[in-house]
Amino acid sequence: MTDAVARIHAALADAGVTGWLHAFDIDSGEQLDAGADQPVCTASVHKLCLLVALHEQAARGALDLAEQVECGPEERTAGPTGVAAMLDAARMSLRDLAYLMMAVSDNAAADLLLRRVGLDAVNATTARLGLTRTRAVHSFGEMLATVKEDAGPEGARALADPRVVSRLRALDPERTNRSTPRDMTRLLGAVWRDEACTPEHGAAIRRIMGLQVWPHRLASGFPFDDVHVAGKTGSLPTLRNEVGVVEYPDGGRYAVAVFTRTAHTAATLPAADAVIGTAARIAVDALRARAFRSSR
Amino acid sequence: MDLVRHLECFVAVAEESHFGRAAARLGMAQPPLSQRVQRLERELGVRLFERTSRQVRITEAGTLLLAEAREVLSRTESFLAAARRVRDGETGLLRAALPPDLSGETVAALLADFGDRHAGLELELHELSTAQQLDRLAAHDLDVGVVHHPCDVTGLELGPVLRRELGVLLPAATAAGLDEVPLPALSGRDLILFPRTAAPALYDELLTTCARGGFTPAAVRHGQGASFVQGLVLSSGAVALCPRDAAPSGQGNGEADVVWRPLTGGAPALRHSAAWPKGRGDAAVQAFAEAATHALRTAAGAVPDVPARPLHLRPASEYWL
Repeated sequence: MTDAVARIHAALADAGVTGWLHAFDIDSGEQLDAGADQPVCTASVHKLCLLVALHEQAARGALDLAEQVECGPEERTAGPTGVAAMLDAARMSLRDLAYLMMAVSDNAAADLLLRRVGLDAVNATTARLGLTRTRAVHSFGEMLATVKEDAGPEGARALADPRVVSRLRALDPERTNRSTPRDMTRLLGAVWRDEACTPEHGAAIRRIMGLQVWPHRLASGFPFDDVHVAGKTGSLPTLRNEVGVVEYPDGGRYAVAVFTRTAHTAATLPAADAVIGTAARIAVDALRARAFRSSR
Repeated sequence: MDLVRHLECFVAVAEESHFGRAAARLGMAQPPLSQRVQRLERELGVRLFERTSRQVRITEAGTLLLAEAREVLSRTESFLAAARRVRDGETGLLRAALPPDLSGETVAALLADFGDRHAGLELELHELSTAQQLDRLAAHDLDVGVVHHPCDVTGLELGPVLRRELGVLLPAATAAGLDEVPLPALSGRDLILFPRTAAPALYDELLTTCARGGFTPAAVRHGQGASFVQGLVLSSGAVALCPRDAAPSGQGNGEADVVWRPLTGGAPALRHSAAWPKGRGDAAVQAFAEAATHALRTAAGAVPDVPARPLHLRPASEYWL
């Protein structure tokens, strides 16, 4: 295992990133810790906490997932995908908004859901599941507003300046939505073992997480047609995250959380995305090797 | 009234837009936080927030005062850092570091300037790579350094980012008649670069920038020492990147075997800035940072790094401004 941890750190360094990872076998509880308790900014990974809170309220009967939401074109949270990128008024159900929030990280859909669910409920859900170091302090729109404010009048272009990046409040875990790799794998384990919600709602969460479209991070480490990957990414300038579950046809299920910061401020860094998959693969291979040895 | 403590409350509520969350961040209960904000509003005679039953919103007057409040808090931090230095008996000593690739002239200019700004302070100067500096800054074994970008700036404050444009080292015969070299003209040549493990992100940035400008090396050879690099340039027809101030001496007298030429067409650059741990930028650290910035600009020909190229965020970036 220490060899796997060393290989993970070497892979991250080779990709020009600093990173923290926690992985565990959902059924045996065997784990791999490469900085599992590091406080990290969650960015869009926190949409997973919101999704679980939404289903918890639905399970209690506090809301109906088929409830229709008016998505007016005014005051939508900005984003490059989903409702956030659309121009006209739309109307859709809470669960379809949840699908867009998870499949393409739709910021507008996330904030519409957050308005219905409430930030306090998201924190109550994570607290109930024992995620003591996980906390949402603002909406996704508010988080992006701090980036815009800290970037100043130059806008997105200023985010190439390391000095501007060093000042972003959205990259300081004390001042934005936060968690740890271990808290996130704990959440994933609860979802996959149906401890977070009823089995019916657990299945709905797992379905949506399996529909995420991005192939470039966690999934890239598992180029096997018979291996299922479900996850949620999170990104901000220099920050690249993904948490998810990798399922093998022999029944092996592994929760993995990877949080990284790139040295470079460039927005397009394919190697930094891919190393999330590489690191997760090293971790999962190590957990599977350990299970194989102990079964003999 | 403890103004600093009250301003902390003001800034926290402004940033969180929520009394409960601001209280959690400050590690205090909500009622005393509300009282402090009200007291501050009374003392100033300015209404800072609009409160409704569901939310709290900063007023226009509050917005006008927010930047000043942050400034006061950051000055306070700097003052406390200085006090810590005095208390810890470090008052006479500043532990600083420079990267190995600065020219002797640049280092001399920096030291002279720092001496003028801060006579009487002893400077303990180390020659350290960026990776070594980041480790020591994080461990608080170093007060201030000058780092190469790209590097992970988590937990650091930075001085202005400066760039030293890179030119190319060529055999004199190849360079004859050329005042400058367009990047695509280097096509097909080998490039000599430091070993990638020394700074993977910088290594990749240099190769990406060269490729973006039209120069994809036939092969990359690894070398670092000046003599070794010049030997490779002379013997193999490979080229090397080098800032003007670090170019081999003998330039311009027509006798050098290896000569330096500026690159055109999107030349790569080395980028530096002074760096120190967040919240520990006291007067001595600032003086060193300013001296380093000044020396890089005057002795090494560095210029402010203004992001000039467009930035097209792609949908997978997940954020949008």
